[in-house]
Amino acid sequence: MVGPAGERLVGREYASGELAGILNRQAEILRMNDGGVTFSGGEPLMQAAFVLDVMNRLDNIHVLLDTSGYADEDDFRMVVEKSDLVHFDLKLADPRAHARYTGKDNALILGNLRVLSEMGKPFIARIPLVPGITDTAENLTAIAGTIKGSKGLLRAELLPYNRAAGGKYRACGMEFRPNYDENRDVNANTGVFRKAGIEVKVC
Amino acid sequence: MKVGLENLKERARTGDFKKFRTEMSDDITKEPAFDAMPMVRKAARCMKLACEAQKPLIYPDERIVFTRTVGNLIGCASVGNICAAWDMALSQGLLGRKQVALQTLERMRDDPKAVDFLESCIETIDAVLEMTARYAEEARRQENEDLATVLDHVPANPPRTFHEALQSFKIMHSALWLSGTCHVTLGRFDQYMWPYLKADLDAGLLTEAEAEELLAEFFISFNKDTDLYPGVQQGDNGQSLMLGGVTREGRDAVNPLTSMVLRVSYDVNMIDPKINLRVNKDTDLELLREAARLTKRGLGFPQYANDDVEIEALAAHGYDIEDARDYTVAACWEFIIPGHGMDIPAISACSFPAAADKAIREGFAADESFDRIMDRARDNVKAQVELAVEKAEQRLEPAPSPFYSVLMYNCVETGRDISDGGVKYYNYGIHGSGSSNAADALAAVRKFVFEDKTIGREELLDALDKNFDGYDDLFRKLHDEGPKVGNNDDYVDSILARLFDYFADACEAAGNNNQGGIIRAGTGSAMYYVWLVRRGRDKQTEPVVDATADGRRRGDFIGSSLAPSPGVRVSGPVSVLQSFSKIDYNRVCNGGPITLELSDTVFRDEESVEKVAMLIKTFARIGCQQLQINTLNVERLRDAKKHPEQHGNLIVRVWGWSGYFVELDEPYQDHIISRHMLTL
Repeated sequence: MVGPAGERLVGREYASGELAGILNRQAEILRMNDGGVTFSGGEPLMQAAFVLDVMNRLDNIHVLLDTSGYADEDDFRMVVEKSDLVHFDLKLADPRAHARYTGKDNALILGNLRVLSEMGKPFIARIPLVPGITDTAENLTAIAGTIKGSKGLLRAELLPYNRAAGGKYRACGMEFRPNYDENRDVNANTGVFRKAGIEVKVC
Repeated sequence: MKVGLENLKERARTGDFKKFRTEMSDDITKEPAFDAMPMVRKAARCMKLACEAQKPLIYPDERIVFTRTVGNLIGCASVGNICAAWDMALSQGLLGRKQVALQTLERMRDDPKAVDFLESCIETIDAVLEMTARYAEEARRQENEDLATVLDHVPANPPRTFHEALQSFKIMHSALWLSGTCHVTLGRFDQYMWPYLKADLDAGLLTEAEAEELLAEFFISFNKDTDLYPGVQQGDNGQSLMLGGVTREGRDAVNPLTSMVLRVSYDVNMIDPKINLRVNKDTDLELLREAARLTKRGLGFPQYANDDVEIEALAAHGYDIEDARDYTVAACWEFIIPGHGMDIPAISACSFPAAADKAIREGFAADESFDRIMDRARDNVKAQVELAVEKAEQRLEPAPSPFYSVLMYNCVETGRDISDGGVKYYNYGIHGSGSSNAADALAAVRKFVFEDKTIGREELLDALDKNFDGYDDLFRKLHDEGPKVGNNDDYVDSILARLFDYFADACEAAGNNNQGGIIRAGTGSAMYYVWLVRRGRDKQTEPVVDATADGRRRGDFIGSSLAPSPGVRVSGPVSVLQSFSKIDYNRVCNGGPITLELSDTVFRDEESVEKVAMLIKTFARIGCQQLQINTLNVERLRDAKKHPEQHGNLIVRVWGWSGYFVELDEPYQDHIISRHMLTL
């Protein structure tokens, strides 16, 4: 996390070997507990080469990649190849809505979703529920339709709205002006997924 | 839970029976005839008077009876914080013990001391039986023939049913409290009670559900009368119960009663009895899941002990291997032997922060190297141990305790009171408190003063003297950036391990106490997590520290037993376990758990029980000794401080026991609120 003057607020720099060393110290315990290591963020694929290097140095540890899918396709392929499980975020199916609310087109994301399916890597589709924006029946139905039949799909997970975003904006010296009502209850519409034959869980 | 049990619970909490309490007059203790009696006879007489003053109190809905009506006790105290030979007490019954006493008396007629002792034993047995007879009479008067039949039979005779076994236990346990003791532990309950339950189940006399109801009533009954039991805080009454483990021959001891107790404790949801579970690296995962479900309840139960580590450690400290395998816990967590032990496992605490602080200040003043400072710390630990043992030997006059002796092995058989060498083990134990804070302080000094040279000696000394006033940056650097125990960081963990080596060395060097026992080093803190930073008692010999080099201001708490220093950054529960796995427990056997507080949000998903079960397995597999997993919700605790009347039933783990948060004094409440909250 970076502040208004570009100063680092949170975080430490590690060399890949150093980080792998730290993670490997817990390798045995992680295995004992059917656990592993998760690469998350932010967006881990913004440091794809680094992440790949660390993964290559891990001592037989289960690896989970938690990504928005917004990354160069080659990077995506290489890192997914080395992962055991992927958490793939899906926010908005409609490209216009996606561009409006995230600032980016979702073609790259959908493309990587197809790559993920081709590769057959086990994955979980994670859908953050932003009240009135992503939790609409229309959006969820569209997402269900997109992931239905994907090889490797384990289930969909609906993530209730997390208010931490506002705090992060403020910590970075930015103003948080959401164009939705943070206090509104989300619609955790599991029915849409069940109808599509997709296992679904609300987190 | 059934309505009947809810009513019993309600009554235990509200204490309707307190209106029946009377005070005993202590006139008799002033009579010259009484005064002239030997101590052991006085003890028996006082107990007899207490039993006689007890009015039989039976509520119509009770199936397991005994309620204290005697508010105070007069006369002599008794030994406490040990574990009776409950299996023998039940299987022989008090008449059986009386027979043995009479036989020994016959043999030892010419030994006046033995005669005093044995006649005292018989007096106490008769007193308990007479009191029970009046209870039976009262049951008859209420036309409760079933209960009267039970009371006619036990505790005089061996129980014929599970119900009789529970009732027998209840009376003997309550009688011990009447004898003036404190911290009456329940020992290996699933071991000695299972045969009675099994017989009933096999004979079809009881269903599992009926057994659970009886057990629930039995457990609820331990929550009455506790306001009369002495302890440091309300709830500190030593009614600890041990489950699982191995038999004296080393075979798996888990039986169906083991998991039944876990389930019933969950249902009853009260602070007594305090559940402990022995585990090893191969303990069945399903049992660990049952235990994790109880952990989820938030009572701080069970407290876990690792057989793989502790049995060997006890044997290494001179306990017979069968006895080592038979271990249970004392009031908090200290490892003791049922029936054979008169260990006093909490004579004092060694303050590691004081040892480190003194070493740092004096080492700086003399411009010494870090190694010399560590040597000083070692010497300070040794001095504290020597003082603790010296004070204990002056202070601890074991009181003759004829009734407890009746319920221990060997005493009645050989005509010797437990306080007079009647049992096998007379060891002392010392808590080892504030170890993380001390290790953090020494590591900070090594790193910042000696290696990086970013903090000067003068500067640090001045900051400590001024309680960091005017030294905010220095405080923050020490508190936030210093190496901290709880992160699996060898730099500071090695210092932690060395401190315990010094402690073990000092206890070994202290030799034998005046009863021929050894001194056992421990890892616990008990109330010393407050007393070592804010003086607990006027005459306290354990030193109090002010500001310390780990980034701690005067009065700030140290951790509870083995825990990272309060308020510092830790990587997570696994790292905490790993840090504490580096202590050489073979040399530090007294006990004192790793204390993990999990945020109650951990338990919101179904996977949490599995994760906690695996965490317990990890704890055992990496060689730790003892573990407590508590759950906390800080918001609720803060609200309970502000509105105690709304949180009357909020239970928290204080140290080796759980209590009602609103009944604790403020420093203990604040300590709990200040603890780390971890997630899985």
